[in-house]
Amino acid sequence: MFKWKKILASVLCAGALLVTGCGGGDGGGSSSSGGDPNVLKVGVTNFADTLEPTQNYFGWVVMRYGLGECLTKFDEKMNIQPWLAESWQVSDDHLTWTFKIRDNVKFSNGTPLTAEAVKNSIERAFAKNTRAATFFEYESITADGQNLIIQTKNPLPGMPGYLADPLFIIVDTTAEPARDFSKEGPICTGPYMVESFVKERAVMKRNENYWDGEVPYQTVEIPSIDDPNTRAMALQSGDVDIAVNIAAGDIDIFKGNDKFHIDEIASLRVVLARLNQKPDHILSDPKVRAALICGCDRETYNDVLLKKTFIPGKAPVPPSLDYGFDQLKDPNVYNPERAAKLLDEAGWKDSDGDGIREKDGRKLELDFVVYNSRAELPLYAEAVQSDLKKLGFDIKINTVDYNLIDGMGIKGEYDLLISNITTANTGDPEIFLTWYWKTNADGSNPQNGSGYSNPAYDAKLNELSMEFDKDKRRQLIIDLQQILLDDGASLFFGYPQTNIINAKYVDGVVMYPSDYYWITKLIRPAK
Amino acid sequence: MIEAFKKNRLFAIYTAAVILILFVAIFAPYLAPQDPFDGNMRNVLQPPSSEHLLGTDKLGRDTLSRIIAGTQVSLFMTICLVILLAIVGSIIGITSGYFGGKVEMILMRFADMMLAFPGVVLAIAIAGILGGSVVNTIIALLAVGWAKYARLVRSLVIKLRNNDFIIAAQVNGTKTINILWRHILPNILPMVVITGAMDIGTMMMEIAGLSFLGFGAQPPTPEWGLMLNEGRQYIQTAPWLMIYPGAAIFIVVATFNLWGDSLRDVLDPRQQ
Repeated sequence: MFKWKKILASVLCAGALLVTGCGGGDGGGSSSSGGDPNVLKVGVTNFADTLEPTQNYFGWVVMRYGLGECLTKFDEKMNIQPWLAESWQVSDDHLTWTFKIRDNVKFSNGTPLTAEAVKNSIERAFAKNTRAATFFEYESITADGQNLIIQTKNPLPGMPGYLADPLFIIVDTTAEPARDFSKEGPICTGPYMVESFVKERAVMKRNENYWDGEVPYQTVEIPSIDDPNTRAMALQSGDVDIAVNIAAGDIDIFKGNDKFHIDEIASLRVVLARLNQKPDHILSDPKVRAALICGCDRETYNDVLLKKTFIPGKAPVPPSLDYGFDQLKDPNVYNPERAAKLLDEAGWKDSDGDGIREKDGRKLELDFVVYNSRAELPLYAEAVQSDLKKLGFDIKINTVDYNLIDGMGIKGEYDLLISNITTANTGDPEIFLTWYWKTNADGSNPQNGSGYSNPAYDAKLNELSMEFDKDKRRQLIIDLQQILLDDGASLFFGYPQTNIINAKYVDGVVMYPSDYYWITKLIRPAK
Repeated sequence: MIEAFKKNRLFAIYTAAVILILFVAIFAPYLAPQDPFDGNMRNVLQPPSSEHLLGTDKLGRDTLSRIIAGTQVSLFMTICLVILLAIVGSIIGITSGYFGGKVEMILMRFADMMLAFPGVVLAIAIAGILGGSVVNTIIALLAVGWAKYARLVRSLVIKLRNNDFIIAAQVNGTKTINILWRHILPNILPMVVITGAMDIGTMMMEIAGLSFLGFGAQPPTPEWGLMLNEGRQYIQTAPWLMIYPGAAIFIVVATFNLWGDSLRDVLDPRQQ
């Protein structure tokens, strides 16, 4: 009997496998409901454990779910637009900012929004999250009627952009401590408010006190579907009406289907590999770094392997932002012959014939740390591994959990470490260029765990932090990028296009380059 | 042996199939039509064609070549694991069965503890802590699987221990190690071999399972479980990346299961 049970089990397993394998052929899928006009279902990926906007990066989720709003926001071209602040100005000495708060805004619990409330909310963010101080430091914040006045010690050209960061979502601090924001969600001003939230699934309901027009849906259900294939299938089957970030492997299914609408845009993100160049690491030799970078055929990775869902990488800042992408010169374009020559020059030779180069008894072996919650990261890593093997590198891919990545990056426990980073979450790449490459003297700049240090680069960064003139800032940012390229500071793989796909019975779904605004009041049933 | 083949047609057929699989595994580098590691990145996710009989994967590597190379990896891992399980299990089983007393109690309570855990979950935990690699997968499954063998061997040894020929050997002053080696081991070996043979299929599935979850073989190793996982992302657009490695697992596991069963029929006198 035992024998037959085993055979039966094997057959069933194989059968199940074949069925799932073949089922994909028909593409479309059926949407059963056609969309309930009162309920919106959005398939997302959620990393937040709570909706407390000051905890880690959880504010992003508060904003994406249509819950929280800031004083300012970014439009489709990353220009700063008024939001809860209707206008702002800076004094002649560049030290005093005055934001005029809209006076028709109410929190979802009915409390009117005043400059005092905004002040308390911003101070709360500073008190609860040290990241706030990496954006700006203030001398004083004062409220005068609907005017919010922020005094700073140094001139801070990026102020309106800083306040668009979801860390500075305006919450009703008077609702605390009666309401525990981390358990019940914050009280904000957005079109929807929390009904229930766990990491895997959130339910939002209409904010009846919304200030900016009518809110279309009674309820928004937001399941977090972390696996990109499952998310695609949920959209195909009608389990969700909207899905964000459909992976390269699946996007073709929707492209040829007139039931779905795709909004695909160049994001502000860059996928890069940090290269550890601390003294005892192999990559401290600039020639080896140059060889590594020009041994990678980045055009093929992005155009073929990722089916053009990524733009081939070159510089730190993506071409979607106007910071001289085309005029920057990459000294390390794909050229395997040059890469081999550089390695020879640096003294790395394959003396024992195993295909891996050595120098002074040390193998050319590099530890490449990746995580795989984003589908493209392992793909890049494997492509690099395959390309560089031909040059005599032995790349060991070390897949770790996403939660470990940050710590490993700060401590420098890698040779290469892959990251998918937003370059301009304040509207310009100053912070991005500072965090990852400014000299880290005794932990002064912890995000730079790679050991990269160039005094010329630091000097230009200092200049940038004081500069108000738009054209001069642009030129400084271009210069900074060129220094990084010349130094072979990091390996820039590519720039993701992000997408949001919706069934056509829903309207107004837009993906913004900042990636902050997913569910907005503009999303409504199609007529 | 020839007798056995004549008597048992099915056993002959299954043995032939097993030999064929072993042949593929051993000569994989010569049988694979293309390099299983190095593909043409300009030629990714191609459907099956005359050039690539089973299509190409996400890095443009030939799927057929990778499946053939995977036979070697998967079979090597499985056979190593089963042999290690048999050795470790036998040593612990013989020790506790023959000597009894406190040694037995400690070892068997430890075995009970291991058996009380859900095996695969524990293996995932161990492999997760050790980090994914071929060797660590084997260690993890070994740590989980030995208890079953130790229990089996122990019960066999207890049955043997009081037989006259053992007592005679003891009375004659034979060294303990010689008793174990000369008298006990040959008597338990057939049972251990049968159990091992029947476990090959199961172990192969568990290894593939761990690799599928990312705790086993790491890229670019052509391991079937890992290939399934890689193909999962393209399940709708390039289903051949899952179908063929899945079929390979199915065929090999089924063959070894059938072979293990018929081997038992042949070796176990009670079944005849």
